[in-house]
Amino acid sequence: MLEFTFIEEDDALQVWLKGDLDIEGTEVVDEQLLPKITSYSKVNIDFKEVPFVDSSGMGLLINMVDEIKNTGNTVTISNVRDEVYEVFELLQLSEIIGEEVFV
Amino acid sequence: MQEIVSKGKSLDEAVQNGLNLLNTSKEQVNIEIIQTDTSGFFGVGKKPAIVKLTLNNQNSVTQNQEMSHFNLEDWVETLSEEITTYEKDGIAQPQENVIKEDALKGKAWIEDGKIGVKNSSERYPSVSISTDVFLIKNGEEITNQNTILTEEDEVKIKVEEPIIKETDWNIKVEEQGLKVTLNVQPGQTIYKHIVDQEPNEHVELMAEETIEKTNTLKLEDIMLKLKEFGVIYGVDQDEISLATETLEESTFVIATGREPQLGEDGWVEYKVETSSKKTLVENEDGTIDFRESKSIPSVEKGEILAKIHLPKLGIPGLNVMNQPLPAKQSHPVVVKTGNGVIEVENQLVATESGRPSIETRGLLMKASIIPKLTHHENVNLSSGNIKFNGDVEVIGEVEENMTVDAEGDLFIHQSVSYASLTTLSSILVKGNITSSTLEAGKHNMLIIELGHILRNLHQQLGKMLIVIEQLTKTSAFKSSDFSINGLQPLIKILLEKRFKGFYTQAKQYKDIVSKGESNLDEEWRRLAIDLNQTFLSLSNKIIKMEHLNRIMMSMKELADISDIPVEPNAQITISEAHNSSLYCSGNISVIGKGCINSKVHAGGHLHIKGILRGGEIYGRLGVTINEVGSRSGTKTLISVPADQTIFINKALEGTILKVGSVSYKVNDTMDNVIVKLNHNDEIVIEPYGKEQSYA
Repeated sequence: MLEFTFIEEDDALQVWLKGDLDIEGTEVVDEQLLPKITSYSKVNIDFKEVPFVDSSGMGLLINMVDEIKNTGNTVTISNVRDEVYEVFELLQLSEIIGEEVFV
Repeated sequence: MQEIVSKGKSLDEAVQNGLNLLNTSKEQVNIEIIQTDTSGFFGVGKKPAIVKLTLNNQNSVTQNQEMSHFNLEDWVETLSEEITTYEKDGIAQPQENVIKEDALKGKAWIEDGKIGVKNSSERYPSVSISTDVFLIKNGEEITNQNTILTEEDEVKIKVEEPIIKETDWNIKVEEQGLKVTLNVQPGQTIYKHIVDQEPNEHVELMAEETIEKTNTLKLEDIMLKLKEFGVIYGVDQDEISLATETLEESTFVIATGREPQLGEDGWVEYKVETSSKKTLVENEDGTIDFRESKSIPSVEKGEILAKIHLPKLGIPGLNVMNQPLPAKQSHPVVVKTGNGVIEVENQLVATESGRPSIETRGLLMKASIIPKLTHHENVNLSSGNIKFNGDVEVIGEVEENMTVDAEGDLFIHQSVSYASLTTLSSILVKGNITSSTLEAGKHNMLIIELGHILRNLHQQLGKMLIVIEQLTKTSAFKSSDFSINGLQPLIKILLEKRFKGFYTQAKQYKDIVSKGESNLDEEWRRLAIDLNQTFLSLSNKIIKMEHLNRIMMSMKELADISDIPVEPNAQITISEAHNSSLYCSGNISVIGKGCINSKVHAGGHLHIKGILRGGEIYGRLGVTINEVGSRSGTKTLISVPADQTIFINKALEGTILKVGSVSYKVNDTMDNVIVKLNHNDEIVIEPYGKEQSYA
C-alpha cells in the first residue's frame, strides 16, 4: 500500500513516497496527496522507496504533475530507481510531463 | 695385390670383362693369358678365352679383395663352358651387381622402412629428417634436422603411432517427425610409414600417410537409438544397412513418415458472364458508333449464376512415431448473397432479372443481381431526379439541375447539361456534357484513402503491442491493474506522446468513415467503432490484449482489401465536355472532340483523343492527349504523379505541364513529346514516334 511522509519548508514541500505506485494508491494520491501538494510553489517527490509501478499509477503521476503545473507551481521527481525509470522511458514519460521534472 | 680371372668368347672380351669388374683401365693392369678361345666343331670342344689381370695400383679397388683369396686352379676348374654358370657359387657377383655396389659407396638409401649406408673414404652420406620421423642413432635420438651416417652406426627409424578416429554418427528426427536422418562419419586410422629413397649422397627421411577407413556402426546401435526416439513407422532397413557399410561421410534417410495431403479450398464455378465492361467503340473512320457499344450481361429469373464447390478435405499424414499429422485445413467459400440471389444446394440462383454482379476476394464472395432502370424520356422536373440501386439507362437528356444517382452502370443516350451524374460503377454519355459534374466509383477512392490510413495505423499498433510486451517484462512494472482497468490507462499514456500520431490518424479514419458511411461495407464501419471505443473515447469497456490483436487483424484485412487495384468497372467514357467536372477512380476516356475548360481527375489513366483547351486535368496513372493548349491563352494544366508520364501529340504555347511537384511551361509549340521526370527530379521532354501515341 502506498504511503507518504513529508516536510514543509516555507512554500516548499518535500514528499517521500513509500510503496508501489499502482492502482491501489489511487485514493492516497487523489484524496490525500494531491490536495496537499498543489498549495506549495515548489514540490519535490522522492521515489526512492517506490519499487513497482503499474499503468494506473503512471496515470496518477501524470495527472498529479499536470495539476501542479496548472497551478503555476513547480514539481520535481528525484531518486527514481533504475528499474522504475526503465518503465518511464518505455512510456516516454519525461516527454509527457517534461524533462525538467526529473532531477 | 689384386688379381682377377675373367673369361670371354674372345680374348678381348675376357680382358674387357675383367677390367669392368675391377673398374679400371688396361693401363692399370698386367694381363696374363691363361687360355685362348677355341671355336670347336659345331659347338663340340668349344672353349672360352681366359685371362688373369693383376692390378698395378693397390688403391683402386678394395671390395674385390676377396677375389685374391681364390685358388686360381680351383677357379678355373669351376668355370664351365656356359657363361651363365658364373653366378652359381655366389662368390663372384654378376657384373651389374658389382657395379651397383660400387656405385653405392658414400651413399645412403631407404628401402622397406630401413636405412642402408655404404661407407666411402671420401665422404659420409647425409640424411635430413622431417618432423614426423624420429631417427635413433646409436641409441640416441637425433634432434637436428640433418645428420651423417656410417655403416657402423646402429640406426633405428621410428614414425608416429597410427592416429585412430572412431566412427561417429548421430540420428535426428526432422520435419515434425516426417523424416529420420542418420549422419555417419566413418572412423579412420592414419598410418605413417617411411618413404623409400634411391641411393644418394643425401637422402631425405620422411613419412607418408595412408588412411584406412573403418565403419564400426552396428545395426543394433541404430535400432536401439530408433527405439529410444520411439520411431516405429516407415523404417528403411536397406538404407540402414547401407549406413553401416559406408566408408564416406554421408547422411541417410532411415525412416520416413507419410506426409499429410493438402486439402483444397472451396471454389466458385461461374455459369454466366459477369464482366460488364462497357465502352464506346470507335469506327475505322474515327467516328463513334454508339450502337456498337457492348451489351450488358444479364440473367433471367431462376437462372443459375454459379456453382459452389465444397472444399476437399486433406488426408492426415503419419509421422515416424506413428502419430497422426493433421492435414492443413481447407476452407469453404463464404457466400454473401445480396439482392436477387439465393443459395440453393450449393448453387447461386437469380430470383430477379438483371445484371449479375459477383465479387470475390479470397474466399469471400458476394453475389447480387443489379436491377436495371430504363428511363425512356428526359430527366427533368416532371420525371424528378433519379436515384436507383442498380443500372440506369436514360434514353433522353439529363436536363438542368437534375441529378442521376446510380449504384450500377449509368448510360445516358443524349446530352447532360447543368446536371450531376453519380455512380459507383461506370458512366457512359453519348451526348455533349455542359457545365455538369460526373463522378464515378467514388466508393473506391474512399477505400484507397482509408486503406492508406489503416496501413499506418496497423504499423503503429504493432509497435504499440511490442512496447506493451516490453513493459510487462520490465521488473518494476506491475500488470496487476490490467485485470481491473484493462489496458486503457496504459493506452492513454502511450497515445499521449509515444504514439501521438496514432490518435490523429485513428480520428481521421473515424471521420472519413462517418462521412462516407453509406458507401462502406460493415467491416469498415465496425472498425471505426472499435477504434473509437479503444483509443478515442473514455469508455469504461475493459480492453484486453486479445481485443488489440483483433483490431490489428481487422486493420490488416481491410488494408489488404484496399490494395486490390481500382476496379476496372469504375470508368467514365464520354464524347465531349464543356465547363464540366469529371471525377473517376478508374480510367477516363474522352473520345469525341475533347474537353473545354473542364476539370478532370482520373484515378487511372486519362485519355483525350481530341483537344484539351483550358482547364485542369490529372491522370494518376498517366495522361495521353492529342492536342492541348489554348490560342486565347486560357490556362491549361496537365498533371500526373512523379512516377508517371504525359504523352502529347501537339502542345501549344502556354500549356503548363506538371509531373510530381515540378512544373514546366511550354514556350513554343511542341509535337509528339513524352514528358516525365529524370532521376534528378527535373522535367525532361523527349520526342517519340507517332505510332506510340496511343499505346
